[in-house]
This record gives sequence, C-alpha cells and structure tokens, in this order.
Amino acid sequence: MAQIPESQQKVKFYQTGTFTVGNRLLDEEHRSVQATIDRSNSLDSGHRACQGCGEALGARFAIDAAIRATGNQLIAANATGCLEVFTTPYPETAWSVPWIHSLFGNAAAVASGIAAAMKVKGREEVRVIAQGGDGGTTDIGFGCLSGTFDRNDDVLYICYNNQAYMNTGVQRSSATPGAARTATTMPVGAEPGNAFNTGKSVPLIAMAHNIPYVATASVHDLHDLENKVTRAMGVRGARYIEIFVPCPLGWGSKPGDTVKVARLAVESGMYPLFEAVDGELTGVTKIRRHMPVGEYLKLQRRFAHVLKPTNAHQLEQLQAIADRNIKRFDLLSREGETS
Amino acid sequence: MRGALASGCDFFAGYPITPASPILMMMLRDLPARGGIGMQGEDEIASIGMCIGAAMSGARAMTATSAPGISLYSENIGLAIMGELPLVVVDVQRLGPSTGAATTTAQGDIQFVRWGTGGGFPIIALCPSTIAECYTLTMKAFDLAERFRCPVFLMADKELALTMKSVNPSDYVDVEVRDREVVDPTELDPPLEYRYEPAGDVVPMQLYGGKHPVRFTGSAHTEDAFITKKPDIIGPLNEHLIRKITDHVDEISMVKTDFEDGARTLLVSYGVTAGSMREAVTLVRANGTRVSALTVQSLWPVPESEIVAAAAGVDRVVIAELNPGLYKRELERVIHDVEIVGISRIDGVLISPEQIVEVIV
Repeated sequence: MAQIPESQQKVKFYQTGTFTVGNRLLDEEHRSVQATIDRSNSLDSGHRACQGCGEALGARFAIDAAIRATGNQLIAANATGCLEVFTTPYPETAWSVPWIHSLFGNAAAVASGIAAAMKVKGREEVRVIAQGGDGGTTDIGFGCLSGTFDRNDDVLYICYNNQAYMNTGVQRSSATPGAARTATTMPVGAEPGNAFNTGKSVPLIAMAHNIPYVATASVHDLHDLENKVTRAMGVRGARYIEIFVPCPLGWGSKPGDTVKVARLAVESGMYPLFEAVDGELTGVTKIRRHMPVGEYLKLQRRFAHVLKPTNAHQLEQLQAIADRNIKRFDLLSREGETS
Repeated sequence: MRGALASGCDFFAGYPITPASPILMMMLRDLPARGGIGMQGEDEIASIGMCIGAAMSGARAMTATSAPGISLYSENIGLAIMGELPLVVVDVQRLGPSTGAATTTAQGDIQFVRWGTGGGFPIIALCPSTIAECYTLTMKAFDLAERFRCPVFLMADKELALTMKSVNPSDYVDVEVRDREVVDPTELDPPLEYRYEPAGDVVPMQLYGGKHPVRFTGSAHTEDAFITKKPDIIGPLNEHLIRKITDHVDEISMVKTDFEDGARTLLVSYGVTAGSMREAVTLVRANGTRVSALTVQSLWPVPESEIVAAAAGVDRVVIAELNPGLYKRELERVIHDVEIVGISRIDGVLISPEQIVEVIV
C-alpha cells in the first residue's frame, strides 16, 4: 500500500486534521475517547448484534463518552429492542454499567424515576441515560419521552434511529423514510414502500419542548458523536440525542457498508446533523462533499425499487427532502459565503 | 388470519409484537385487496382504539397482540364492554410476565383476559388447539362478537402462530358468521342506543351516519347514552352487561370430547397443550388403560355443565396447562368430590405426552 502514490489513494490512512477515530496524530485533547488507553468498554465485545450493526457501534461510543464525562457515575436504562436483547443474552452481559431494562414504551419515565431517586438520596453526581430504538422512542415511548422533557428531568435520552422496528421483524415506525420497504410497507403498487408525508422528527419536537440540549449524530462521525454526548452530560435537565444507526439486516445493506451508508445519509442531506440549546438551533455539521441521494439509496435494498425508472418520481421526492434539509439547516454554505 | 378474512373482517389495527406480528403483516398485506383497511398504530393503545372507532362505525374489526399488548389494551377492553362493541382480540400468548420471553410459548393469559379490565365484567374467550381450529374459532369469535356485542378473545399461543405445519384444506371448517343487527339508519325515531331490560337481551346497534345523532360513551350511562350515576339506572346497566353473557352460556360453550366407558381418569386441556393430551390418550389406550379426554374450546364463560358431565363417574381429573394452574382453579370451582391433579409448566417447554402419561398410569 505504501507504494501507491498519495494522489491515487482512495483512502487516506492518516489524515491529519480530521477526526478519524484513533488518530494518534491529533493532540491529546482532541483524541477520541475510544483512542485513549483508559477507555471504558461500556459495551464489551462478544455481544450478539448482527454484523455491521450501527446501533452497537453508536451505543458503545455514546456510553463510553458518557462514562468519561461523568467519571463513571452512570446508570443506563434501556427500552425493549435489539440493543436490550443482543447485549444481555444468558449467561453474559456486554454492559459494564449498571443497566435497567424497562418496558418498550417507558424508558424515559423509568429514567426520570432513577434521576429523582438519586436526588432524594443525595447522589446527584450519578447521572442517568435512557436508551431506545426509534420505535420505542418516536411511537410507543413518545408520551413518556415528552413528559420527561416537559418536567425537564435530569435525563439524557439517546434514540438509536434505524428507521424501523428491527427487533420484531422490520415493521414501519414513524421514523421510517418515504418509499422505504419494510415488512408493513411493501414495495407494491403505484407508490411502493412507505408513504411520503408521514412520520415525525423527534429532534425537532424535542426542541419544541425548549429543553437544554438536543442533537443529532451519526455513526460515521464518531468524534462528533462523542463530543455531543460529552456536551450533553455537561448540562443538567432533559437532553435528547438521536443517533443515525444503519441496520444491514433491515435495510439490505452490506455489513461492511454501515459507516459508508451513514456518511452518505449525511452527505446527501437525508440526515442533517445539528445541535440546539434551549430550543434554538446553535450549530449544524456542514456537508463536506455533497452527494446525490441516489448514491445513498443504491447501497440499500429497501430502496431498490426507487432506483427503477418506473419509480423515478420517488427518487425525486427523496431528493426534494434532502434539498429541503440542506436549505432548512443551511448544510452547504461555507463561512463567509451567503446562502 | 384466514378465518378473519372468511368472516368478513374489514378492519384490522395492530402494533408489532412477537409472536403476533405475522397477523399484523398479513392483514396489512391482504385486507386492502378485499376492500378493507389494515392499520399499524403507534402503540397498542392506539391500535385497539382504532378498532373501537371502526367497530362503532360499522366495521367488523379485529386486533392481535401478545400479553404485554393486552396490558395496554386493558382500558380499551373496558370501553368495548361498556359501549357494547363487537370486537375480536387475538392474544398470541407468550411466556411472561412483562417482556418475558417473546419467542417462548405459554398459556399464561387465561385468567388475565377474563379479569383484565376494571369491574370484573364477563367477556368471551375461545381457545384453538390446532391450526385448523384457529380458522374455525376465529369465525366463531366474529359470530359471537356480533351476537353479544362484546369483545371476544381468541387465545392462541406462540407455537400455534409461528410453527409451520401442513394442513389439509378440508380441515378448515367454515362457521356461519351472522350479520350485525343494526337499527335502520333511515329510521327517524329510532329506539334508544341501549336497553337494559330484559337484562339478558342484546339490542341492535345504532351506527353513525343515520338520520339520528348516535351517542357512545364509556361512562356509566342511561339507555340513551347520557352520563349518569343514578343507582336505579347503572345497576340495571351493569346487570345487563353481566347477564347478556351469563344467561346464554349454552350458546357459547364449545368442548371436544373423547370419552371412554369405564374410564377412571378424565384428562382436560386446551390450546396447544391439548395436542399433547390427545397423543397421551392414544399412548395410554394402546396400553389397555381406559381414559377420557375433554378439550375446552370456549374458556370463558366456563362451560360448567359440560365439565361437570365429563367428570361424572371418574375418580380423578388431570388438567395440563402451560401456566401455574390457572384453569385448574375453574375446575376446582366447578367439580366437587373428585381429585383434581394439575400438570403445569412455566419454563417455556411444552408439556409432553409422556409427562401426561406418567400421571395417569
């Protein structure tokens, strides 16, 4: 490999100045939590996630960053779902933090209870994270989540968004994008896959609660993910982070493409990364290399029908969503440019 | 699922839950082609709520879930009882409590569906023991829901729902499903929405969309559906909700009998465990021992006279069930002066025919 001239290298192995995980060329302060020798391994190897599971990757980086930020004073609640199941099959657990499995829909409420108990016991240094998939967050857990936001309980809720109910067999959730194939939105008829103009953005709804911190993150940019978790643990009150986690099984993507798929979702504008403080947008991650939506879709069989000429209108609709995100969050303009 | 379609079910709403999800997926796939609508709710509360609205508006509605979902259905089941709505609820039982073991079979919801909402009012629950019976009893469930204007439960389990099996098409026996008795919507002076006397009677339903504004309420109500708590009105209301089922147990009771003259032991079972019981009967008889068997298909209301008749003349009744002895309680309540032995498993493993044979011999 070393013989290949740099101009012909498809991948730069040691890109200085970027946030590639484990990049030892960065100064100490900017290295990722995972790159350090004292990393905590919150989610240990040997769990039963599928190959290329985005959720396993996201959960490990998020919880490790939270452990670092809190000095290992952390309790994690976990809604029913893949993460719960694959991390704790008998006779072993992958978790190295105190962990509570709740019901499918009440992780936020259980976490609120834990936080309240810590306060009563005078143990407020112990912080609480609630975790759930998109089904457990945007659908069945939505009422409890909104209540936690409403009371501004001292809980960080992390939603691992893989855009469908994967644990029960890939059924549509309200985080499933338009046109996507799931077991309950089959690619048949004139409008194959999931209907457009349905679903909801829980990050934006969280912002409408005016809670101290809301962010979206993606498993292709783990340094950014860690930073956002660290920032979230630096404030008290209700906080929400949604992490974009590709699911090879449910999406029909190659396990080895998980990070690539996540990157293309962001670079195409399909999944905007942003932060909000007290309900106000405070920052967005600019797209470094703008890609057409088709590049993102073609790696996933759940969108295979979209790329057929007969469904060109669906491709246009998805592109329009990405374009709208780019405009709304100003994802392309550079400093000094006007948008 | 096929039974539901054959019954004219035209509305389904559900929420993903193993092992009931295949019903949701098939209904979403197949209902639209038959002019029906299948919907996926954002949770169980929404799913059964949609069924309530659909049933009230004239649809033949069904939903399907498993034990944790029945917990969330609870308040809406009460609404269906109070509003006297025909509704079929499939409970594909799995090992509980709580999330329990989603892909592990059990029969643990037998008492839960009976007492699963406030007040203790009766419901109807049918329990198929073979795949073909799933078809037939689903049709029967729709028929009874129309007949009694109440929620009817179909108590399936994980083994019945998720096991692939070849079935002879001729085993799918059709049951006639009656049409809903409704008040003529063009009637300018229709009868009241509800009637409590005679207590055991069920009156035709008034649907939305006629000449007369129709009221529906989950609160205690007068016969024209105004909220009240007057004892002389809500006493008869609640009496009616009980008597409309308890006065007609004979119409509901379904058992399968396999009696042998001179048998000293009666085996009782239901659902998937009845399959093991049938096999145990074959094994025992091959050995020359006489034994009788009773499969209960209508769990609620309890087919008391059939059970008492079956137990007449035996020394011992043996009931096999995948729970801590939930239906054994009913046998103990109904049968007297006969020894009742329970075979229970709550470890997720089916009761084997050999396990039953051991107890008999």
